[in-house]
Amino acid sequence: MDYLLFRLYGPLASWGNIAIGESRHSFHGPTKSAVMGLVAAALGIRREEESQHLRLNREYHMASALFSQGSLLRDYHTVQAPDTVGKFTYRSRRDELVIGKDRLGTVLSSREYRSDALAWVALRAEDGVPYTLEQIADGLRTPIFTLYLGRKSCPLAAPLDPQLVVADGFAEAFKKYQPRGISPVLERQSERFERDVLCRDQSVEYCWEGNVEDFGSEGRLDKSQLLSETQHDRLNSRRRWQYAPRQIYHYRTKEGV
Amino acid sequence: MSRFIQIHLLTAYPPANLNRDDQGRPKTAKMGGVDRLRVSSQSLKRHWRTSELFGQAVSGHLGTRTKRLGLGIYDRLTEAGIKDKNALTWAATIAGEFGKNKKADKNDPLNELEIEQLVHIGPDEQAQIDQLVATLIEEQRAPEKGELDLLRETTSAVDIALFGRMLASKPAYNIEAACQVAHAISVHPVVIEDDYFTAVDDLNDGREDAGSSHIGETGFAAGLFYSYLCINREQLIENLNGDAALANRAIAALIETAIKVPPSGKQNSFAHQGYASYVLAEAGNQQPRSLSVSFLKPVEVRGLIDKDYLTQAVDAIRQQYQGFDQVYGPCADRRYEICVGERLGAMGELLDFVGGAE
Repeated sequence: MDYLLFRLYGPLASWGNIAIGESRHSFHGPTKSAVMGLVAAALGIRREEESQHLRLNREYHMASALFSQGSLLRDYHTVQAPDTVGKFTYRSRRDELVIGKDRLGTVLSSREYRSDALAWVALRAEDGVPYTLEQIADGLRTPIFTLYLGRKSCPLAAPLDPQLVVADGFAEAFKKYQPRGISPVLERQSERFERDVLCRDQSVEYCWEGNVEDFGSEGRLDKSQLLSETQHDRLNSRRRWQYAPRQIYHYRTKEGV
Repeated sequence: MSRFIQIHLLTAYPPANLNRDDQGRPKTAKMGGVDRLRVSSQSLKRHWRTSELFGQAVSGHLGTRTKRLGLGIYDRLTEAGIKDKNALTWAATIAGEFGKNKKADKNDPLNELEIEQLVHIGPDEQAQIDQLVATLIEEQRAPEKGELDLLRETTSAVDIALFGRMLASKPAYNIEAACQVAHAISVHPVVIEDDYFTAVDDLNDGREDAGSSHIGETGFAAGLFYSYLCINREQLIENLNGDAALANRAIAALIETAIKVPPSGKQNSFAHQGYASYVLAEAGNQQPRSLSVSFLKPVEVRGLIDKDYLTQAVDAIRQQYQGFDQVYGPCADRRYEICVGERLGAMGELLDFVGGAE
């Protein structure tokens, strides 16, 4: 089986969780909708191309290896905006602030970010998918739209370094992935800079969808560390922002698999 | 053509409180396991796009800032033979859509046609005004309410094209931002300090009570910030209806603003002004990446007495992008650097580089 692997690293990331009202929470690791959104942006798929997004979400299967979930950052955020008057539409942000000056009010929101987070992602494709894993890898190297980690203000801070590997299950795929360092210069000074600075407890959390067997090294999994959870990030409609529940397995280990 | 233009900036600010949290203290973030000073991307973008500099830099190429919109309309109407009284009323009505009309003046009947404040008219809006005026002349009638509403419902404003627009109720009018802005983060660890202050009553002669009449505390810290922005030039051109020249103007305007305009939080208390000391611009189609990892290990002065934070930070950025290039292959096709400390580069050349990045 072919797998496409790539790395997600940035000083800030925000993996949108269910958000109602003024609090915008983040999952602790990359969600499938965020990762497939990033893939779609790389390929130049527009937000309104509903069927393409649905195919990406349904026909590719994802696993992640979370080396550092980062520390939680809560960002207090205010937005100054005028209320609406009848059918009048403000033409630009500048108009809102200049023409709507007398009606300005403040909207509060609180956004969650993860700082110092590092994760690897593995994708597996079904037969007859619209884009081969090679095409996705090329897209990630020279993307059409800007890529980001869940929020536009969270840029990637390292090359994704996409690599194709042949493996039997996600576990073996992660083992075969050999990303180059994110701090090439500093790494000469310390053997594994990323591990030393970012992944202090040296543990890895693997997450995958599907069955336990899809991970591949079932015999070696310590079942007491295996967790099954429902996450609302399976895309139902990109246009209406609807997400369906998805069964996820979590496996946390010190040694790596 | 280069799809992506990436800008990396190093800007130093003296003690200040640039961007506050709900406690009124400077915002922070952890990076590389230590606390850093932070300015949110939302804050940066707001100060850039509402700045005088940005407004002026794009105005000439966006449209016209004028108080005299109504006068032009009046002239066209009277030239086409519309009665003076009608021309006056109709022109005043249209101008009134863009701002408050000046008071009517018996000695100067045209005074009412001017509006109180300068209004910025985009070329597409001017075209709509011209068309409306032509219709009025042809049909010999006053403008109707619905026709006036149309005037502002046009797109292609530079600030929308760069920073996007999201309308939850009308998603058809959403525009994807062509510019990505990261939160600015200090390259070194910070400890937020508290400024204990008192305010003294000038008229208190001290006979009863010599104390101050107000005491308070303000959090502050000084920092050398790394900021990053990435402009998707292709998307910007598309957002601006294919106007590549305007896109280039917008890019140059934004970058000049990012270099020169500080966040204004507590500006009057701390007078933090500052231009970026180092700028790296990169152009290419390769996957964009910020260079924040240069500072994952915070810069330190310990043991490097002859090098200040800024010099070390510039070294770190250079080593980082060269390291990325060496390991992953070139991450940009072309680069341009400004480094104040080395008297390297010039603003004009930088703006030519980014503006004309064909």
